[in-house]
Amino acid sequence: MRRHISITLIALLFLSLFCMYPVLNTPILAQGQASERQITVLNPRGQPPAIQLKQMAPRLDSLDGKTVYLVNDGYLGTDILLGEMQAWFKENMPEVSTIYKRMSGGGFTAEDPALWAEIKEKADAVIMGMGH
Amino acid sequence: MAAVVGHCINIESKLGVPTVPLIISAFYEQVKTHHTIQKGMPNLRVTYLISPVWGKKAEQIRKDIVSESPISGKMIMQEIVENLAKPLTAEEKMTGTIEPETGPERFTDTPENLQQMFLEKRMTDYMPIILPTEEKVAEMLKGTSHHPDEVVGKMAAHTAMPGENNVEVFEHWSYTVRTVAINAVMAGAKPEYLPVILAVASTGKEAISVSDNSFTEGLIINGPIRDEIGLNYGIGALGPFSQANSTIGRAWNLLSINAGNCGRVGTTYMGVIGNPMNWNNVIMAENEEESPWQPFHVRRGFKPSDSVVTLCEGWGILSAKNSKYSVWEKEMDFSGTLKKIVNDQDMLFGAMAVLSPPVANFMKEEGFETVEELEKFLAARPEGQGGPPQAKMPSWFRPQINIVVTGGSNNNYWSYGGMAPRQSVLIDDWR
Repeated sequence: MRRHISITLIALLFLSLFCMYPVLNTPILAQGQASERQITVLNPRGQPPAIQLKQMAPRLDSLDGKTVYLVNDGYLGTDILLGEMQAWFKENMPEVSTIYKRMSGGGFTAEDPALWAEIKEKADAVIMGMGH
Repeated sequence: MAAVVGHCINIESKLGVPTVPLIISAFYEQVKTHHTIQKGMPNLRVTYLISPVWGKKAEQIRKDIVSESPISGKMIMQEIVENLAKPLTAEEKMTGTIEPETGPERFTDTPENLQQMFLEKRMTDYMPIILPTEEKVAEMLKGTSHHPDEVVGKMAAHTAMPGENNVEVFEHWSYTVRTVAINAVMAGAKPEYLPVILAVASTGKEAISVSDNSFTEGLIINGPIRDEIGLNYGIGALGPFSQANSTIGRAWNLLSINAGNCGRVGTTYMGVIGNPMNWNNVIMAENEEESPWQPFHVRRGFKPSDSVVTLCEGWGILSAKNSKYSVWEKEMDFSGTLKKIVNDQDMLFGAMAVLSPPVANFMKEEGFETVEELEKFLAARPEGQGGPPQAKMPSWFRPQINIVVTGGSNNNYWSYGGMAPRQSVLIDDWR
């Protein structure tokens, strides 16, 4: 009887050690500690420039008798679009003069100093297309 | 669309003339939340058109311009008239300065949380990064003699074509040697790669272009640096088969995202289809040793002993075997086949052929003593296939082809694509 009890106790001891194994296993503890460990890292971003707000141009009292430049930056289909807008003005607001201009080329972003000078001298307003 | 916004803001603020930029409605968010603010006129009166416009017939456009704007709900032509004639509000007359913020210099948290934060703040390419601790960044900075606070350059999501007087499309962010080193750490680069990454950064060229073309970028690397840092220019030269090849292009990407504000979908990235080569760019160390011709950088005026990086841009490259003209024969006419492929391609931004050493050597045996002779032969267009008349094209139109020799000698393969080299930079200046 005593022998049976001893065997049972030894078996229980092994069983309990087996069940405790994950608790005793140090890597599990180390993982828990690592996930709470804090580190400091550096911000990888560059420096954006300050933005200076620019003044919008005053609006016109009305378009009557005014000259509106329709400026094509060269994107596909803009000539058709501005042509239709020009026709709309002619039919619906004949008192407005419209002048169609194609930018000088060299890419959408290229400046066109001659056209800017002409606009400054002759245009009351500009409609420019097209952001595609 | 950013160009139209830029031109109109200049006309308003410099010439005092009221404008209405016309932009398709697909770009509303980009224009409203980015371009008008960054260019200093957040209330610019834009009229949004029914997307798309290009491709529509005049009859449809005629209907569209008297239809409701998809953004404002007003009839488009009426809105244009109002935008020119309605007095400015107090908000529209506002002036002053906005100082944008990019967060603190340092972040402290657990590594797991930091990885997540970098991803959520879009400071990564959506792949795990090496977290840039001060120790790792200090180690990276040993790769250059330059001071960490030195300003390396400025970058924007779009670089103007060289030689043009252009309106600024995107704002330029500035960055220091330290910023470049932080991004190099994140990419998994070694300190000895830093001079290459700094040389690229010094150009201000973005790795992720905003263009709706879905461009990719590339680097041609020449000189002793190739062996010094273990760049692969043998078998699989253009693939992910060495740490240097794999991380230099990624570092350029991360720098562009973080220090140039590039790659933000909807604002600073608009590539319609996207491009898988954007993951790492096309990194090409030339196989100078097995090439029958002068190395690429020497043809650009550098000494053979110089270490040089040349930046490229375009749609990317793919195997020329993908072409209908590339037929395997017992006796190959390599240059003739390549010429047929070139003739069939659009050369708008220039073209590039990447030849394996055996193919390059076969072409030399065909009689092309110099690479310039081969490039001239390939670029000459047959009668009636000359593309658009040169006079009508912008000055940056370059109907030219460039040859790079790299890869293994285990078979006769070559690749081709619409990529063009731009500036070359001396890496040695950044050691």
